[in-house]
Amino acid sequence: MRHDLTLRIGPATFRIGSAWAGPIDQLARLYAAYPQVEGAIADFTVRLQPTSLARRWVRPSIFITGDHGLADAAPMSLSHGLLAAEMGMNLQMALGWRRHLLLHASSVEKDGRVLVMTGESGSGKSTLAALLGERGWRFMGDEFALLDLDSGAILPFPRLVSLKNRAIDVVEDAVGDVRMGPMLRATAKGDIRHMVPRADAVARMDEGGKPALLLFPRFGPDTDIRAVGQGEIFMRLTQASTNYVALGEPGFAALTRFVQSVPARAIDFPSGEAAFEMVDRLWGEVA
Amino acid sequence: MGITGYYRLDARDATHACLLDDLVLLYHPRSGQTHMVISPVPEILDQMCIDERVSAADLHDRLAQRFDLGPRAAALPEIAAHLDALVALGLVRPA
Repeated sequence: MRHDLTLRIGPATFRIGSAWAGPIDQLARLYAAYPQVEGAIADFTVRLQPTSLARRWVRPSIFITGDHGLADAAPMSLSHGLLAAEMGMNLQMALGWRRHLLLHASSVEKDGRVLVMTGESGSGKSTLAALLGERGWRFMGDEFALLDLDSGAILPFPRLVSLKNRAIDVVEDAVGDVRMGPMLRATAKGDIRHMVPRADAVARMDEGGKPALLLFPRFGPDTDIRAVGQGEIFMRLTQASTNYVALGEPGFAALTRFVQSVPARAIDFPSGEAAFEMVDRLWGEVA
Repeated sequence: MGITGYYRLDARDATHACLLDDLVLLYHPRSGQTHMVISPVPEILDQMCIDERVSAADLHDRLAQRFDLGPRAAALPEIAAHLDALVALGLVRPA
């Protein structure tokens, strides 16, 4: 394609090609600190191409595709090109990665031990991980936690943090403008702005850790901490994994070991401060 | 099948079990499926030996030695229903 970039995030190498320079320029700026792997053999290819020949120039419209594609993926405006590239990379991971059990979860690390947080979009897991990454924890990822099938360790996948709507201001205040991407208004999920993880998260992105606590966070009006049964944890994690079925028996062995060995709690929190207090307390008590 | 039928456990359908609190996961390598089951399903499977032809009545009598199953007339159809469900899942075969 006319414009392209090859970058490595954790164990995965992506080659992103685009018919337009804009999305690649934005990616190059935001991923400047990541390993430069030009010419490397990529695990995945992501392509941002016009929905038709005319749509390269007239009201440019992006179709996201790659090694693994979704036939009915809706086209996106060129102004959302960065988001299209990020979605494309996520899609390739979700559909194609087989080397680890993929959990749709955020993760942060302290003293070699990892806090894993999983929940639906809007639960606050990305925002919490981003903010904890500014408060003495090492940010490991906001979208996918990679569970090693042999060692049981969680490995980082510290791509850009995708912040939505109200979370944007909160994180922007904490990290400053330099580490923030362009504001993408009125996407299918509302306003989105990407945050570049701290330098230590990128420098140590090959370094995993032992999972020590699993949280199911939920942002809302209530404050609560609840125990979660192992059966429910297993069910929710299989729902949160895009490749559990594909991995077969090794996936079953890795996930059951994780469920049996990692303490878990569900937390409801009305504010970042309340969540930090709960995380600190639980980290001290049960992790 | 039901209470008059016979069932058997095929070696190819052997599962890996994992106990999580009060439920049991059964991973079936042949299909790649994970089944979540609760009592009495694990206990019924425990009483079945590979390739042995057994009826619901045989299993009832074995289980009754270890558990209080209540009146036989009520327990028997219940065991048969579980066996039929296991056949539908592909974990047990008709014999």
